[in-house]
Amino acid sequence: MTCEQLASVYEEYALGVLEGEERAELEAHLTRVCPTCTSGVAEARVVVAQLAHAAPDAQPPAALRGKIMGAVKSSGDAATHVTSVERRRPAVQRPMFPPWAWIAAAALALLTGYTIRQMGSQNTQLAELRKEMRLATLQNQALQNQLETDRMVSSVMLSPGSMPLKLMPKDKNMPMVHAYVHPQMGVAITADQMPSLPSARTLQLWFVPKKGQPMSVAIFRPDTTGQIALVASFHMPMNEIAALAVTEEPAGGSPQPTAAPAWVAQVN
Amino acid sequence: MERILQRDSSALETLYDRYGRPVYSLVLRIAQHPSSAEEIVQDVFLQLWRSADRFQIARGPLEPWLFTMARNRALDFLRLKREKQRRREDSDSDVFPSAVFRPDPEGGIDEARRAERVRALMTSLPEAQRRAIELAFFEGMSHSEIAATMGEALGTVKSWIRGGLMRLREALEGARS
Repeated sequence: MTCEQLASVYEEYALGVLEGEERAELEAHLTRVCPTCTSGVAEARVVVAQLAHAAPDAQPPAALRGKIMGAVKSSGDAATHVTSVERRRPAVQRPMFPPWAWIAAAALALLTGYTIRQMGSQNTQLAELRKEMRLATLQNQALQNQLETDRMVSSVMLSPGSMPLKLMPKDKNMPMVHAYVHPQMGVAITADQMPSLPSARTLQLWFVPKKGQPMSVAIFRPDTTGQIALVASFHMPMNEIAALAVTEEPAGGSPQPTAAPAWVAQVN
Repeated sequence: MERILQRDSSALETLYDRYGRPVYSLVLRIAQHPSSAEEIVQDVFLQLWRSADRFQIARGPLEPWLFTMARNRALDFLRLKREKQRRREDSDSDVFPSAVFRPDPEGGIDEARRAERVRALMTSLPEAQRRAIELAFFEGMSHSEIAATMGEALGTVKSWIRGGLMRLREALEGARS
């Protein structure tokens, strides 16, 4: 099926009702990152998500906000979750045991020791398996994220409404950074052969308005292969954007640029 | 989102104040169980906190992303619940709270306008068409499952849903202009 034929089912796919041949056809287009269908489904997801407003309005429990914030605040210090299990033994005077009881106790201790060792070995194996499973899940998630990012970048790059820009480096040895600005879909940034950054530094993208302070749009770093591919949203009318600039900032980014732009593109 | 990336937890509070109510409403509508809805909403916002960098590089507007994540998680919960056939008897205090349609006064003007458009559209649809869309969105059913549930022809259900979604798109485009 062609993209034109599939365009009529983008929303149905995003809604999750599509089945059979149409679904398989569309997923085949998405798997090979067909730009038309990827972009169409991304837009359809935004439309379909708005059906959330059709849910009857309900007030969340007042305690929920506190639970979320409590979990966030404690997430940085998992060690504090460890509770003390130390208990004081009551000072109970034990009765005297006959000799046979000592023998039985020794046998029981040996059996318990053996069982604990066996359990320990099994627990170790289980922990290893869990670790492998977690790793596989994380790898799978990372691949899915990468695929989704690539799809989003392709959507913005290939959208007819996107404005392509070249951010020229101040340092001629540095590669050029490409930007594609779309008023609704956001800005896609791509670059290759970027040098690696120290862990305490990051790159930050700014939209510079005709009047006023630069607006931070994204904080990012090249991946291990020196590539950059990201999409970020922005809230500035297209006709008010004077330039796009990238600066190097301390990790976590800065509220306003602290260095001269390393890459710049004039817009209007 | 910038502030969340800088681990400013007050930014998450601001987002919760803005989106917590519609997200909770959505999740409760799907999960039909307040304590589960609470857990799912908590999970969604914690995921937002933990994966803010992933959101920034992968997504566009925040609201649809939040709604989509909340819907997916709530539908996962629903499917699991159905699969295990463990429908619990809700206690009196655990029933679906009284539902009212009203715009969120805390939300932005655009969001409120979009929400109104969506509600007005759903209200204007014929009962069967609205039901078909609700089964799809809130129950996670496919075309054929909806047809079976409603006892209607598959083609009819497809036509209802396609028509409804077209009208939704038009309504949202109208809200934007």
